[in-house]
Amino acid sequence: MQTKKTISGTFLKWLLLIVGVAFAVSMVFSWTLQTRLSEKSAHHLLRLNIADVRQDVIDASDANLLALTRDIAAEIDAGAPIDEAGLLTLMAHHDVAEINIIDPSGIITSTTHPDFLNYDMRSGKQSAEFLGLLDGTEREHVQSYQPTSYDPSLLRKYAGVCLAGGGFVEVAYDAERFQRDIDHQIVGVTRNRHVGENGCIIIADENWNIVSDRHENEGANLVVTGIWIDRDTMPESDVFTATVYGKESSCMYVFSEGYYIVAVLPENEILLQRDTSVGLTAILEVLVFLTLFGVIFLLVRKLVVNNLNRVNTSLSKITDGDLEEKVDVRSNTEFAELSDDINATVGTLKQYISAAAARIDRELALAKSIQQSALPSVFPPYPDRTDVSLYATMDAAKEVGGDFYDFYLLDENRLAFLVADVSGKGIPAAMFMMTGKTVLRDYAERGDSPAEIAENANAKLCEGNDAEMFVTAWMGFLETDTGLVRFVNAGHNPPVLIRDGAASFVPQKANLTLAAMEGVPYREQTLKLRPGDLLFLYTDGVTEAANAAEELFGNDRLREALSKRFGSGEAAVRAVCGTVKEALDAFTGDAPQFDDITMLCLYYAGNNTLTVTAKTDELPAVTGFINRALEGLGCPKEAAAQIDVASEEIFANIANYAYEGEPGEVTIRVRGEGDSAVIEFRDRGIPFNPLEKPDPDVTLPAEEREIGGLGIFMVKKSMDDVAYQRENDENVLTIRKNFSK
Amino acid sequence: MTIQKTLAGTSLTVAPEGRLDTITSPQFESELRADMNAVTDLVFDLANLTYISSAGLRVLLSAQKAMNKKGTMVLRNVRPEIMEIFEITGFSSILTIE
Repeated sequence: MQTKKTISGTFLKWLLLIVGVAFAVSMVFSWTLQTRLSEKSAHHLLRLNIADVRQDVIDASDANLLALTRDIAAEIDAGAPIDEAGLLTLMAHHDVAEINIIDPSGIITSTTHPDFLNYDMRSGKQSAEFLGLLDGTEREHVQSYQPTSYDPSLLRKYAGVCLAGGGFVEVAYDAERFQRDIDHQIVGVTRNRHVGENGCIIIADENWNIVSDRHENEGANLVVTGIWIDRDTMPESDVFTATVYGKESSCMYVFSEGYYIVAVLPENEILLQRDTSVGLTAILEVLVFLTLFGVIFLLVRKLVVNNLNRVNTSLSKITDGDLEEKVDVRSNTEFAELSDDINATVGTLKQYISAAAARIDRELALAKSIQQSALPSVFPPYPDRTDVSLYATMDAAKEVGGDFYDFYLLDENRLAFLVADVSGKGIPAAMFMMTGKTVLRDYAERGDSPAEIAENANAKLCEGNDAEMFVTAWMGFLETDTGLVRFVNAGHNPPVLIRDGAASFVPQKANLTLAAMEGVPYREQTLKLRPGDLLFLYTDGVTEAANAAEELFGNDRLREALSKRFGSGEAAVRAVCGTVKEALDAFTGDAPQFDDITMLCLYYAGNNTLTVTAKTDELPAVTGFINRALEGLGCPKEAAAQIDVASEEIFANIANYAYEGEPGEVTIRVRGEGDSAVIEFRDRGIPFNPLEKPDPDVTLPAEEREIGGLGIFMVKKSMDDVAYQRENDENVLTIRKNFSK
Repeated sequence: MTIQKTLAGTSLTVAPEGRLDTITSPQFESELRADMNAVTDLVFDLANLTYISSAGLRVLLSAQKAMNKKGTMVLRNVRPEIMEIFEITGFSSILTIE
């Protein structure tokens, strides 16, 4: 089975994933941003420091050159010659690279550099910067070390000071002179200068000789620091990395006034800032995300999962059949709507179910009545017959069942009766049952013997039996005059024979059930019923009825329940079925009935009833009948002789006195009750109790004897019991004679 | 039922065979009556009488009453079941049974 994930679990998973991704993205973003910021601020720091130092250098050199130029201007104003020779003297004296005299019109009138003579200062950007000295806007001007306008390959640092006689003098350092001039000043520039916490500034001259370095490596080559600068590939003011004094560092240089000014900031210092910042962000984010995560999780649980669970609990109840259950989750609109929708659906469903159930109930009730009407249900079925009594019931477990019973007279002397059980229950079994019942009856009425019926019915039922149902059946033909039962048992439970208060199962050879397999033979058996015997047929719903402990009723309990005397006739057959039903009910208690319960009971009185006209002519028929009946009961000869006499007396009495005018009928019934014979005489004549007549005096002499009353007296004397009753407008005289077999 | 009668002078021997019941008794009675007038010794040989009812008893009683006036009546070879009936009905005290 695949394990389904819970919503909260899935939600948790995705939330975790999204939070994780968000965290990672923000970390990367933060890290990148912080790296950039750190680098930017580091670069800014490097640039600031370089600019600072550069300014220091420029300031130093500016002051120096300007001081020299003032001195020279002063000397010229004091009258020093300004021809080329004079200027060369001054140049040598002051150890400068060049001296030019510019007239007020901006033309070089005298110079130590003959090429510059008559150069107009306006003709170059660099030289034009000095024009302010001519228009009086400034008295002195100093430039940085740069290419000249006249010849850009020539690098100079110029300073100009106005002359008293108009115009100004311009003095220049060349590189060598310039450096010599300021080297000593630059040495101190970096001593106390820090870039950031541990960074530094290194200044080297054009030849990579370190001029100033906090690490006191002045004079050494720049290479010792680990810095390498290639001016062709590494532009000024760009950051490059190098291992400076063993530390990975970001560096930047400018080349200014003939010096390399290199600012160095250790990489770890830059990164420390970034790392601190990112770490802090991470901690904050973890806190924020954890809180968010927790809040969302709790909200989802509260708003969704808990409500879903409540809905599910209700749905489970509904699924288990409780359609009265209402879903009532109203904490938010969506669940309220869901609850309403479910309730509405269940309501509609309930309506449909009850409508369908009502329809099915109606149809089943109809089916039940059809089925019931298919079974003979009028009892006693043959009220005019005294030789046989029969009673049957079918109690379906559902509305309709697969059990059935049937009975019908094939002719005056043959009664067919059967009990059958279709496999399964409900409507399919009921429909198959109807077919089975009809088929059996058709063949029986055609005149087939029980075995032939079974074989033919089997063939018929096997045809198109796609549902593969089958029927067990016990079918017998009773010859009412002899008590012989010819029967066939198609896989059915053996009937119980109740004789003289003792129950036993009818021994039998079982055949295959009907509709199970085509062409199987069915063997016929016989059973001889004696007058007074009861035969009880049933289906396995009786023996397999279960109690709460799931024990089966079983054959033994059935036999036990039936091992007693049930009397005779109609009352007996009803009593047998009633007794079994009571025993079943007592046994099963409240346990539900699982199978159809069908019972059929037959009482065989024997052909021990005779109805004749109350005429003495009928006496031979009466005595003949009684004698045969007594024979059937196994009555001893002596007793039979006495009964014979008694019967004659009673019958003669009725024939002579019961009816006035046209004689009516007398019905005589002989039956055995244990070790006694009971003979009953019924006539519809005038009410008359012969027992009331006083007994004759048998001690009188012959002349005084009366013959009247002697017959009844003989009856009283020879019988063990004589009783009279007026019953249903009938005189009923019953005599009993005990005998030991 | 068949009845054998043997008449020797005034002595009549009657031997009924079978059943002496409501139906046969009238026949038996008329047979008897036909020969009764001159008879002084009436003998019933009941060896083959298997059955007797009150109707038969009535014939025997009226014969006994008649013979009491003019002679004797004797019953011979009475079977036990018939004898039992005579006993029950008290007929054994009024009949002469040999």
